[in-house]
Amino acid sequence: MLNHSKSNRRDFIRMGSIAGLGIADIMRMQHLYASEQSSRSDINCIFLFIVGGMPHQDMWDLKPEAPSEIRGDFHKISTNVPGIQISDVIPQCATVMDKMAILRGMTHQDSDHGRGFHVMMSGKKAGAGDFNGNQNNNQHPCIGSMVSHLGSPGVLPPYISLPNFLNSGGPSFLGPAHGPFVIDSDPAAPDFSVRDIALPTSVATRRGQLRQLALKQINQLEEDAEKVSKQVKSFDTFYEKAYGLMSSKEAREAFDISKEPEALREAYGMTSIGQCCLLARRMVEAGSRFVAVENGHWDTHRKNTYSLKDLLCPAFDQAVPALLNDLEQRGMLEKTLVVITTEFGRTPRINPLAGRDHWPNAFSIVMAGGGVKGGQVIGATDKQGAEVTDRPVTPEDMVATILYSMGIDHEKVLHTPLGRPVPTADGGKVVRELFG
Amino acid sequence: MLSLQEVCAESYDAITIEPEVIRITGRNRQTQLLITGHRKDGTLDDLTSQATLSIQDQSVATLSNSLVLGQTEGTTNLTVQLDSFQQSIPIHVAGYQNYPPVNFEVDIIPLLTKLNCNGGGCHGRQGGQNGFQLSVFGFDPATDYEALTRQGRGRRVFPGAIEQSLIYSKATGLVAHGGGERMEVDSQDAELLREWLIQGMPWGREGTPTVQRIEVTPPLRSMKPRSLQQLRVVATYTDGTKRDVTRASIYSTNMEIIADCNAQGVIESGKLAGEAAITINYMGHVDIARVVIPQPGVPTPVRPKWFTDTNRIDDLTWNKWEQLRISPSDLCDDATFLRRLLVKTTGTIPTAEQARAFLMDDSPDKRARAIEQALVSDDFINYWTQRWADIMMVNSATIGGRSAYTFHRWLRQQVAENRPYNQWVYDIIVATGNTGNVGPANFYRIQRTPEDATKTISQAFLGIRMDCAQCHHHPFEKWGQADFYGLAGYFNGMKRDTLDENRELVYHPGHQAIAIPVINQAVNTRPLAGPPTTADNTTDPRPELGRWMTSAENPYFARLVSNRIWKHLLGRGLVEPEDDFRETNPPTNPELLDHLASALTTSNFDIKQLMREILNSHTFQLSSTPTDSNKADDQSYSHYLVRRLPAEVMLDAICQVTGVAEEYAGHPRGTRAIELWDNQLPSYFLDTFGRNLREAPCECGSSGDPTMAQALHLLNAPEIEVKIQAIDSSITQLAESTLTHEQLIDEISFQTLGRPPTSKEKRIGSQLLSTEKRRQGIEDFVWVMMNSYDFLFVK
Repeated sequence: MLNHSKSNRRDFIRMGSIAGLGIADIMRMQHLYASEQSSRSDINCIFLFIVGGMPHQDMWDLKPEAPSEIRGDFHKISTNVPGIQISDVIPQCATVMDKMAILRGMTHQDSDHGRGFHVMMSGKKAGAGDFNGNQNNNQHPCIGSMVSHLGSPGVLPPYISLPNFLNSGGPSFLGPAHGPFVIDSDPAAPDFSVRDIALPTSVATRRGQLRQLALKQINQLEEDAEKVSKQVKSFDTFYEKAYGLMSSKEAREAFDISKEPEALREAYGMTSIGQCCLLARRMVEAGSRFVAVENGHWDTHRKNTYSLKDLLCPAFDQAVPALLNDLEQRGMLEKTLVVITTEFGRTPRINPLAGRDHWPNAFSIVMAGGGVKGGQVIGATDKQGAEVTDRPVTPEDMVATILYSMGIDHEKVLHTPLGRPVPTADGGKVVRELFG
Repeated sequence: MLSLQEVCAESYDAITIEPEVIRITGRNRQTQLLITGHRKDGTLDDLTSQATLSIQDQSVATLSNSLVLGQTEGTTNLTVQLDSFQQSIPIHVAGYQNYPPVNFEVDIIPLLTKLNCNGGGCHGRQGGQNGFQLSVFGFDPATDYEALTRQGRGRRVFPGAIEQSLIYSKATGLVAHGGGERMEVDSQDAELLREWLIQGMPWGREGTPTVQRIEVTPPLRSMKPRSLQQLRVVATYTDGTKRDVTRASIYSTNMEIIADCNAQGVIESGKLAGEAAITINYMGHVDIARVVIPQPGVPTPVRPKWFTDTNRIDDLTWNKWEQLRISPSDLCDDATFLRRLLVKTTGTIPTAEQARAFLMDDSPDKRARAIEQALVSDDFINYWTQRWADIMMVNSATIGGRSAYTFHRWLRQQVAENRPYNQWVYDIIVATGNTGNVGPANFYRIQRTPEDATKTISQAFLGIRMDCAQCHHHPFEKWGQADFYGLAGYFNGMKRDTLDENRELVYHPGHQAIAIPVINQAVNTRPLAGPPTTADNTTDPRPELGRWMTSAENPYFARLVSNRIWKHLLGRGLVEPEDDFRETNPPTNPELLDHLASALTTSNFDIKQLMREILNSHTFQLSSTPTDSNKADDQSYSHYLVRRLPAEVMLDAICQVTGVAEEYAGHPRGTRAIELWDNQLPSYFLDTFGRNLREAPCECGSSGDPTMAQALHLLNAPEIEVKIQAIDSSITQLAESTLTHEQLIDEISFQTLGRPPTSKEKRIGSQLLSTEKRRQGIEDFVWVMMNSYDFLFVK
């Protein structure tokens, strides 16, 4: 019964007044709740965004009873959790089902990529306008920026984005300090490196150290601390952080994926998604709070079966189980929330080009680790995978759930520079079932 | 808090009690006392919480601290005692038997607003909260009445069993409420809500008097640090009656660190000297109480001789420092002045030659002459064109390259000619024609709807943020939907005929009134607080709007642009944010803002003349190094405010120092960042240091906030290192010269910082240069200097 969720806290209070529990009992329970919230504050998140629209009915929520033009070419297979079946296009995922929870009732109303991105990155429905390539989320900060704003910082930037800036991944009114640190290159590329974190190659290490030493002396703030301009002090903090990152072997090496044993790199797959997942693990291991990973080209308007089977799913199906197993082996899974999400699902009916189009009414996302109880399915769709029939989950709920899982108050109200109050998760509710 | 010793009545010439007679009419009425000691030196102390208060007949009235509450009808006396001082005032309680009829709009809506039930974060949110939706800040009382009394399956209100009405039980925390306990069961607020339920949830009688205005006492008070000041707020109703609403008002401060105000209307000052404005809001009516907390234990500062009175600006900043009892910093040195002047006016750091020549010049008027030179330079034109283009949202991504270039070139011409500001703004408002040739017509290619045009002209030219007013009347703001759509009417019916994919023909065929959506209510097209338009459906109404907006009498137009220029030059607006003028966001130095605006209108909107006056003031030329006296001050310009170089300026400065230009696609080699008309050219540097995104009509897109990526880029960017190591860089010239180490250090210091090196820089420079590799030593010292705070910031 001691389930530390907020509604349960309320239930306790209500029950307390009925059952005659004293104020002290209630206070103790509230305290338990509060300390449980803060104990989550060391949970980090790897946020894998499948760009284009991940086909729920071909991967996570199969409809074998539906007519062939709906059910498609894939078949159900058993997983390592009795009673849960997923698609034969991702057989390796079936071996880690015990770590994953599938949310089959995801739903929203935007079938445009830019707008779907916006709502799934921020939990805020896009207003009027074009949201493709939205660098500064004109409606609401994305989850990573909220984590950066509300969470506690470390040596690494709190919000990292790879292998590029994610559409609608901007900070909006929280300002550039809470934008992502963008790793704008693909860790699967042989010449992969992260810009500006180490000396340029034309400057030898010892020379770089001499320069830094000289600079530190020049920039040493000699005035009485109260007299130093806030602007300078604030820049000083970032120089310190930059030195910290450059001088901390662990932090700098976190960006150096070549430090991983070749066998492990191979286990993740030498693909963009594989190496991004591996690099993301290195980032959270070194203390980043939120790492957003983009994996693209899932917009299968044509040749859906071929695209999934031959081009997209093999890399996905190698990377995801490798990540979950690796996190578990390192004892990091409980402290790392992994979210596999997308703009929307795909149309139930296969189109004349053998593809599927955009479908936000019902689709699936996956969560694992970070306290999420694996081996469960939450929510359901109808026989055609067209509408949610049980336990709908909105993007707002998804955002609330992620923030909650990371020990961040999802009911907190942010304020725009105009002073307008904006709720972090726009009224979203935590999907309690996930946390057992 | 005042010490006991200070409170002795003998310290005062007089002690006054407000009000002189207490009249309580109705059970929910109350009266706040305000007791003030008048010291012999003319200063005032709030004694409300110090005095001993007693009521003779407690069956008639009682006290809750310094608040008098009625108990039954009758008359009695209140006695105020402080030391040897004693005075009684009469209390009359009437009409106490009956709780006055509650009116939904007059009583309940303000209560919901005060408790923040209808705030944007709670039930006022689009879609409501947990199925219960109220209009945000109660702008639509009829719908809220419906939501409370008819929806929610009748569970929200239950006249028979008040405790079971959700509106009552949730708000008082009797039942778990996501928004927490909003009021206590035994509070006046709770009583009001209970009475409304008991009376059967009336909507209220037609013609119930409504609030006409509220008035706070005292409106201005000088306080000591860590002291208290009681406020009294009295509302005057349309029937002339008055009511004490001290406990029903909402208080907010603009400077929490200086002074805050609690729900009882008590201001508590912090430990710092400074100024704060407390906004008092009751039923959408606003008044302001200002407090000044002078530096304690410090005599009134003596105006230094050098701080002459030839510039009116200096008199007005001086007055403020005198009130606050802080002294200004010294004048900045010549090198600092020149760099500050050039960066702020021309977006360029001084060259070594410029700096040396200026330092060697010993004529007394050299600063004034440098100002004249800066104001007539080409870089002034480049830099200010780009600033206006930021505000006008000249964005090639939204309007295409041809339009962006045409608009930019037109703005450049206005700046180059120093055309009166009101004239070129007028041209934008009435712009008509082919966007391919007519620069200002592109304003309407950017602002495509009446709503967008309204928001943009309001914010960009009047400093009025209308975003909230589009949808609801914000309780703290003056302007509502009728005002918003009144302005939008000027742009309704505008045509944009496509000529080809890059050009449109923009024109206004004639006035068409607009209606407020949702409620579909027609509104008169009119300027803010002005008369309706006389334009008919064949006449373009915009010239009328343009004349109203740009006239010298417009209370917003000149003040906004003066504040904008002031902020640009001094680092902080007199109103902040610089384009957010509201009653509830008063200027820190109203007299100074008035002066700047009137100087601008007197000079026929000559922006350069306004800048000239500011730049020549001692206030602009103060050192940024604070004194012990003014180190805590960051809003009265007692020392210059340090700011980071803006993105474009910093990139150009790096290019200037290294002598290696940045290359921009499609632009001739040597083009500098401050000359770019296209804000979309790929540049990691400009993106990282925050160029203006040109997505909003303000300078807010170009943020000076530091980030990790900025620090890393300055320290490690190969792009910057390439410039330092380039064969054709100015470093090559230095390396190949015959300059001694000492001379090199001097030269590099002048090139980067526009001044001779400090002893620390000399020491570090000679350490770095003492390597065998002369060129490498020079490179390292240049790198260090370009990463130094004296380079990155304007001091």
